[in-house]
Amino acid sequence: MPTRDTAGPGDRSRDGNDAAAAASASAAAIDVDGLELTYADGTVAVDGIDMTVPEGEFFGFLGPNGAGKTTTIKVFATLLSPTGGAVRINGFDARSDSRKVRESIGYMAQETSIDPELTAAENIEFACEAYGVPRDARTDRVDELLDLVDLADVADKRAEEFSGGMKKRLDAATALVHRPPLVFLDEPTTGLDPKARNRLWEYFRRINDLGTTIFLTTQYLEEADQLCDRLAVILDGEIVADGSPSELKREVGGEVLDVELEGGQAAGERAADIAREFDAFGDASVAETEAGISVTAETAREHGTDLLVALRDAEITVTGFNIRAPTLDDVFLAITGEELDADDGEVAR
Amino acid sequence: MSAPETDDRSGPSARSGNTFVGDAWVNFKRWNLKAVRNPFVLVVSLVQPIIFLVLFTEVFGNVAGGAVNQGLPGINYETYLVPAIAIQVALAAAITSGVGLVNDIENGMFEKVLVTPMSRTAVFVGKTAAEVFRIAVQIAIILGLGVLLGADIVTGVAGAVGIIAVGILFSLWFVAFSNAVAIITRDQESTIISANLLQFPLLFLSSAFLPLEALPGWIQTFARVNPVTYGVDAARSLMVDRDVMTVIDVAWFGGTLDGVAPGVAVLVGLDLALGAVAVALLSRASSSDVK
Repeated sequence: MPTRDTAGPGDRSRDGNDAAAAASASAAAIDVDGLELTYADGTVAVDGIDMTVPEGEFFGFLGPNGAGKTTTIKVFATLLSPTGGAVRINGFDARSDSRKVRESIGYMAQETSIDPELTAAENIEFACEAYGVPRDARTDRVDELLDLVDLADVADKRAEEFSGGMKKRLDAATALVHRPPLVFLDEPTTGLDPKARNRLWEYFRRINDLGTTIFLTTQYLEEADQLCDRLAVILDGEIVADGSPSELKREVGGEVLDVELEGGQAAGERAADIAREFDAFGDASVAETEAGISVTAETAREHGTDLLVALRDAEITVTGFNIRAPTLDDVFLAITGEELDADDGEVAR
Repeated sequence: MSAPETDDRSGPSARSGNTFVGDAWVNFKRWNLKAVRNPFVLVVSLVQPIIFLVLFTEVFGNVAGGAVNQGLPGINYETYLVPAIAIQVALAAAITSGVGLVNDIENGMFEKVLVTPMSRTAVFVGKTAAEVFRIAVQIAIILGLGVLLGADIVTGVAGAVGIIAVGILFSLWFVAFSNAVAIITRDQESTIISANLLQFPLLFLSSAFLPLEALPGWIQTFARVNPVTYGVDAARSLMVDRDVMTVIDVAWFGGTLDGVAPGVAVLVGLDLALGAVAVALLSRASSSDVK
C-alpha cells in the first residue's frame, strides 16, 4: 500500500491551487447562487440551488435517481449551461470562462469513460496531452498515477481487458493528470462490488488528504458517511438538507426503533398508524420499511417496549426489533419519507 | 511511491504548447494508435476493394476490356479499373469515421474530451486527419497492387500522388456523411448499415466499372449526379493521362487537367456542403446548451 511520505495538505503548493487562488480572492472551490436548469422539454432538473464548497473539503451530494445530481455536476463541469443563476468554479464563471474552469477541474463521469483500445498507460498519457501536462513531466506523471490506482502491473495491457473496478480506477487516474485543485466524481462507485468500492474510497481519501477539493455525488449513504466532511441532500432539484454527516444525524433526533413484522404491507400500515398515535413518542417520525416499520423518537429507548405491547394487543406479530443510533439512511428516510436503496436494481442512468 | 506533491510543480497554469495544432496532433495520434490496434478493420476495409480488383479484372477483363477499348484504345481493363478501386477504398474507409465517433460517444470518450481544455475544432480536425492519412495509405497500397496486376499509371509517381489527392477529396464528403449519420443515430449498426447501403449503388451506378456508353440510359442519367463518377473520372484522367471526364466537358487547360479539374471542383463543393452539415451537427452535439 503506497503511503504519503511527506507533508500534509498544509504545505502543498500545487499550481492548480495557485492559479485558482490568483483568479479569485475567495477560497471557495464551488460557489453557486440560485442555479436553475430547465431542459428544452420543460423538465425542471435543478430548481434554485445555492451552495458554497470551500477549498479542501470532501463534499457529498446525495439523492435518489433523477433528483438532479448528474445535471448539477454537469453544469459544474461546463458540460451543460445553466438556464438560471450563477456558478463559479475555482473563481471562474462556468459559463463565460468555461475553458479556465475545464483547465482547473478533474471530472469523472458516471459512466466509465476510457478508450478500451488503448492501454492503461496510453489512456493516462492521452489525458496528460489533452490537459497540456508538459512533455518532460508526462512519464513521471503516468507512472505516479498508475501507482496511485494500483494499475502499474497492467500498465501496458489494453483497458478492454480490465474488470469494471479496474476501469473505474483508470478513469479516476485520467481525471487527475493535471493535478486539479477540484475533482468532480459522479457516482464513482455505482455498480462496483464492495471490495472495489472500498479501494476507490481509499484513493479518494488520499487525494483529498493531499488538499484536493472533492465534490462527490452518490446514492450510497454509507459512501457519504464514510468519505464526506459535509453533505447536501437533493430531492426533485432542490436541496432539502445540508450539514456534516453527524449534524444531519443529530437532526433526526433521538434513537431509532426498527420493528420487523409479519403480514407484509398491510401489517406495516396498521403498525405505522399505531406508532404515529403513540403519545409516549412525542412527535416521532414513523416510516414503513421493507421489513416493517421504523420509528425515530427521543424516547424510543424508554418506550420501545410499550409500542411492542401495543402492537401485540392489535394482533400484529412482531418478529424482531432493534434500537440503535440513527444512520444517514434515517436522515434520508426522515427527509424524503422514502428509503434510499441503491442496490435495489435501480442503477442510475 | 512518490507522493504527487513531491515532484515538479506543473499544473494547469503550466499548460505547455497546447496550441490548436498541438491539440489536433494529440487526437491525430490517438486515432492512428486505435487504427493500428485494430488491424482487423484496416485489413477488412482493404480486402473488399482488393477482391473487386482481382475478381473484376479476371472475370470481366476480357468482356469489359472490349467495351473500354472502344472508347479508350490501348487501355487495358486493369488500368481502367484501378482508379475506380481507389475511390472504392476511399468510400469504404470513410464509413469507419462515423463508426469511430459512435464508439467514442458510447465509451464516454466523447464527453471526456469535451471536459478537457482542448479546442473542440482541433479534436475533430485531428480525428479526420488520422482518417485521411489512413485512406491515403490504403489508396497507395491499391495503386501498387494494381501496377503488379498489370495496370499502368501513365503519369507516373506524380499521377499516383494526384490520384491519392483525388481519393482524399472524394473521401471527405463521405466522412462528413458518416459522421452526420453517427450523430443522428448514435448507433454503431445504423451507421454502418446506412453507409454500406449507399456504397454499392453509388459504385455501380457510375462510370467506375464500365464506360457510361455501355450502360443503360437510366444509369447514365443517375451517374451524372453521382459523386463517384466525378471522383473516378478525375482519378482515371490522371491514370491514363488524358481527359476521360464523361459527364462535364470543359476545355480550360487542354489535355488531362480538363478531366481532373471539373471533378475536383464538384468534389470540393460537395465536401464543403456536407462538411458544413456535419460541423453543425457536431457543434450542436457538443454544445453545453440544454437540449
